[in-house]
Amino acid sequence: MKYYYKRIAASLLLTASLIGQVKLAVNTIPTRVDVHLDGINLGSSPIRNERVTPGVHKFEIKKKGYAPLTYDLLVNPAQAVQLDFFLNPVYKVRFKTEEKGLIFELNGEHRWDVQLVRLELEAGNHFLRVFKIGEIIDEQTIRVDEPKKFNYYLKKPLSEE
Amino acid sequence: MRMNQRILVHLILTFEIILGFNPEPTYLVLNYFDRDLPAAEQALIDNFSNSTFEFDPSIHHMFENIDNHENPAASHMVTIKELGEKYQVNYILFNRIEHINDRFILNGLLFNTRSGGLIHRRKIDLKQYLNGQINELNMWVGNTVGRVEKNWEKNRESILFSDPEEINYEKTPRGAAIRSLAAPGWGQAYSGKKVSAGLWASTESSLSLAAIISFLNYDKAAKSFLKNSKLYDGTNDEKEVADYRAAAENDWNDHKKYSQLAIVFAAATGTGWIANSIHAWIVGPRPYTNIYQQWNTK
Repeated sequence: MKYYYKRIAASLLLTASLIGQVKLAVNTIPTRVDVHLDGINLGSSPIRNERVTPGVHKFEIKKKGYAPLTYDLLVNPAQAVQLDFFLNPVYKVRFKTEEKGLIFELNGEHRWDVQLVRLELEAGNHFLRVFKIGEIIDEQTIRVDEPKKFNYYLKKPLSEE
Repeated sequence: MRMNQRILVHLILTFEIILGFNPEPTYLVLNYFDRDLPAAEQALIDNFSNSTFEFDPSIHHMFENIDNHENPAASHMVTIKELGEKYQVNYILFNRIEHINDRFILNGLLFNTRSGGLIHRRKIDLKQYLNGQINELNMWVGNTVGRVEKNWEKNRESILFSDPEEINYEKTPRGAAIRSLAAPGWGQAYSGKKVSAGLWASTESSLSLAAIISFLNYDKAAKSFLKNSKLYDGTNDEKEVADYRAAAENDWNDHKKYSQLAIVFAAATGTGWIANSIHAWIVGPRPYTNIYQQWNTK
């Protein structure tokens, strides 16, 4: 009889602990990505039927070959939260130019003045700015959609002859 | 809320709701976009037939960030209940699309009009892609009302960038190397390097031919040496002895010379063959993009 009381008590405790928790589902593209919630590994995506307490939580999603994603989420006291994360791949890119005396800047962050540089860039659009003798001579957006090489050329003036 | 934000609110009422006889759950869909998404309205009309759209700016307080409230899930209870009664719906789906730099966030909130509480929330945070907002909006609305079309999922998959390990190229440096290993110059020709293809093919052909000729001469000299040695051993004639001896000595020298040449040419052929394959890999087809200066520098 005592055994049944213990089971009932345990069930009640479990139910009480689950009350107020929010059902959590996490989908990722690509799948089979390790999902960490507040530093605890929830397993590989897709995550189903996990529970999370209302409040601020930090998600960390990492996969080799993809840009890591960190996401702070305030979980409201709702019935369920479904999160979709899309990881963006990182591609190996070479940037080459035969032109002399140019300085390149990408996304306002990375600068280089050598003729060949190897970069690892997140897939998508990147803003390229080109300087020559301290002046901006070109600005344009380049699209990185696969591992590849970019060759940069200056526009040559048409011959006046 | 920023002053320059453009607010678009659409009310979607299913046709059955208006007629008021459908026992299926009914939804009122409210959209809030921080940027003008003119195609979104038409996409929803097209994808969710039997729906009607209205514009109602009176519920502007729902545009505020729900997370700023002390009790986010219950912060709009009164409004939700009022809207539920006004439009006679079971659920209210509130979609907020906000753009932050090169990303957009779709925040989907599903409210129950009976309790007025938030019952389901979904956030999507992703890098912008062409018409991605509209596709994601369709998917979320369709997911909630149970009408997701396959092509939306395919569309999402197709616009996402590929896993670098899963990218298949029609022509690869490895393919070029293998071809050149099979036939010198083939890999270079496969990569479109016709001059180097011709050079490698002619060089390797010449070296191979030289090695074969050297070997044939070696073989001929060796056989001739054996023949002359036999004749030398079989005669006692003084003149013949001298002739066979001279011939055998010449054959011996030739056999040594052609043996060395055959080894040198064979080694050169083999080394060149491998070098040609490595060269094919180096100059093999790789994706590239030429960027030309866009600004006019006068």
